[in-house]
Amino acid sequence: MITSRQLLKEIGFGVGGLAAVVLLCALIGSEPLSLEGIVKGRQPDAQIFFQVRLPRLMLAVLVGAALASSGAVFQVLLRNPLAEPYILGISSGAGLGVMLAVLAGFQWSWGELSAQSLFAFIGALATTALVWWIGGFTGRTGGPGMILAGVVVNVFFSAVIMLLTALAKAGQIQTTLFWLMGFLSSYTEMKIWVVSVFLAGAGFGILLWLSPQLNILSLGTAQARSLGVVPERLFPIAFIAASLLTSAAVSLSGLIGFVGLIVPHSVRLIFGPDHRRLLPMCALFGAMFLAIADTIARILIPQAQLPVGVITALAGGPFFLLLMIRQSKPVYGGGL
Amino acid sequence: MARNPFTIWVSFFGLLIGLMLAAVLLSGRGWLFGEAPVPSRPDSLRIVSLAPNLTEILFALGLQDKIVGVSSDSNFPPQAAQYKKVGSFWNPDVEAVLSVRPSLVVTLGFAQQANLAALLEKAGCQTLQVDIDTIDQLYGAIRKIGRATGSQESAERLIKEIADGLEAYRGRAADCGRKVLWVVQRQPLRAAGKNTYFTELLETAGAVNAVQSAVFQYPPLSEEQFLLTGADVIIETADSSDDWQRQKASAEIFYSRFKGIPAVEQGRICIVDSDLLCRLGPRLPLAMEAIVNCICSQKLEQGKPQ
Repeated sequence: MITSRQLLKEIGFGVGGLAAVVLLCALIGSEPLSLEGIVKGRQPDAQIFFQVRLPRLMLAVLVGAALASSGAVFQVLLRNPLAEPYILGISSGAGLGVMLAVLAGFQWSWGELSAQSLFAFIGALATTALVWWIGGFTGRTGGPGMILAGVVVNVFFSAVIMLLTALAKAGQIQTTLFWLMGFLSSYTEMKIWVVSVFLAGAGFGILLWLSPQLNILSLGTAQARSLGVVPERLFPIAFIAASLLTSAAVSLSGLIGFVGLIVPHSVRLIFGPDHRRLLPMCALFGAMFLAIADTIARILIPQAQLPVGVITALAGGPFFLLLMIRQSKPVYGGGL
Repeated sequence: MARNPFTIWVSFFGLLIGLMLAAVLLSGRGWLFGEAPVPSRPDSLRIVSLAPNLTEILFALGLQDKIVGVSSDSNFPPQAAQYKKVGSFWNPDVEAVLSVRPSLVVTLGFAQQANLAALLEKAGCQTLQVDIDTIDQLYGAIRKIGRATGSQESAERLIKEIADGLEAYRGRAADCGRKVLWVVQRQPLRAAGKNTYFTELLETAGAVNAVQSAVFQYPPLSEEQFLLTGADVIIETADSSDDWQRQKASAEIFYSRFKGIPAVEQGRICIVDSDLLCRLGPRLPLAMEAIVNCICSQKLEQGKPQ
C-alpha cells in the first residue's frame, strides 16, 4: 500500500523527468540550433524550436500518455496481457473512417477540426460500440467473446479498407497509408488540440477515479462481486473512458503501435499492479517513451523521417523482453 | 512488489537517452547546439524547391542565385547538388526548410507537401503550391512561379521553348504507328494509363497509349489485360546507365513469358532515363525525343537522354 503523499512525490518526480526529457528532445533535431538564438527569439532558431519541435513533442506526450494508460486499463478489463488499445477494432475502425473521408474527398473542416480527424474519431468509437454490442451476446463482459469479436471486426474492416484501396486514386492511398503507419505532425490546429486534450483528460480522469475499483476487479469477477464492486456497472464506464482516450490519440496521430502494450507491462513490472499508481505512471512513462522515440525517428536518418512506430518497436521490444525475463512474477493472477 | 523501482526507471530512460544520443552521433549531424546557421543576405528573394522538377524549372527561369535550398532528389542540373538539401520529395524536413530562412517555398500539392506548406504558412513563410500532372498544368505552374518571382518574361519564353520542342516531334512516330506501353512497375504490373502526360506526349508524336483504361492514372494490369494491350513497344525507366544494361537483361527475361505481345516477339523493349521520363519539367522535349527514338528505332536500342 502506498500513501497518497508517496504517490504525489512519485508523480512529481515523473512530471519533472518528463519536462526534462521534453526539453532535451526539443534541443535535438536535424538542424543545430543555438541556445542563445532560442532564448533571444532569433529566427529561424526560435521558430524551429517553438513552432516545429515543441508542438510535435507535445503531441508525442499526449498520444504516448493516452495510449499507455488506456492499454493498462484494457489489459485489466479484458483480463488479457496481450490486450492493447487497438485490440477491440479501434485501429481498423479509425482507418476505415479516414479512408471514407479521403475517398469522399472531404476537404472541409468544421471550425478547424478536419474531416479526417473527425472521421477517425467517429470510426474508432463506432467500432468499439459495435464490438461491445457483439461481445454482449457472448454473455460475459470482458470475456474472450469480446476479444474475439474485436479480432473479427478488425479483420473484416481491414478487408473493407483493402477493397476501398482498389478504388482509390494514388494520391488518396498515400494519405491513408501515411495515416495507418502513424505519424506525429508539427502541424495540429488549436481546436483539435483543445478537443483532444479535453477528451483524453476526461477519459483519464474517469479511469483514475475508477482505479480503486479496477484494483478489485483485477482479483477476478467473483472476488470483485463479493467485495461490493459490480463488474457489469464498472465495465462499461471504464471501457468507454479507455476508448475515448484511445480514439483521441488515434485521431491525432494515426496508429502508433506497441506503446500501449509494452509501456503498461513495463510499468506494472516496476511499480506493481496498483492502478492508483499504475495509471499516472503509465501516462508519464508513455509520454516520455514516445517523446524520445519520436526524437530518434526524427534524427536517425538525416532528413528522412522514419515512422515513429519503427522506433517504438525497435527500442521498446528488446528492453521489454529483458525486463520481463529479469522481473517476471505473476502479476496477472495467472502469470504472464 | 517493486524492487528498486528507481534504479529500473533510471536504467530504462538512461538506455533510451543513450540510444538517442548514439543516434545523434551516428547521424553525424544535428548536434545539440550549433552556430547560428545562416548568415543573413541582402537578397529579398530566397527560394526553396521541394521537388526535382520544380528545381529544374527554377534553374530554367534563371533563378539559381535566388535558390537557398532544394529537395535531396534534385540532381539536375548538376549545380543543384551544391545547395542545401531540405529533405526528400516524399518526406520534406520542415526544420531544414526553416533553417535557410526562405521567403518563398515552392511545393507540389500532395498530402505531405500540403501539410508542410500549411505549417510553413503558419510560421510566416510564403509558399507557392503547384500541381503538375499534365502538360497544361506544367505551363500553368511555370507561369505561376514566374509571376511569384518577377520573371514572367523568362516564364513565357520557357513555356514557348518547351511547346516548340514538343511540336518539333509532332507526328514523328506516326509512320511507326505503334501502340506504346509504359510499364511503371512490373510486379504487380502497372502501366501509365490514359489520363497521363505520357498519353499526351504519345499523341503529339502520333502514337497511341496501349492502355486505354481511364479509371486510374496508373492502372494495375492483370496478365490477361497485359496480353490484350497488344503493345508494339514497351518502355521502362532506369536511374543510371549502369542500371540500363541490368534492367534490359532482366526485362527480357521477365517479358519472355508474354510471347503473344508484338513488343516481346520483336524485342522492342526500351529503357529510358527515369529522371527524364518521370519528371514533368523543362526537359520534356528530351523525354519526347527518347520516346520517339524508342518507338521508331528498328533495332533494340535505348532511348538516349540528351
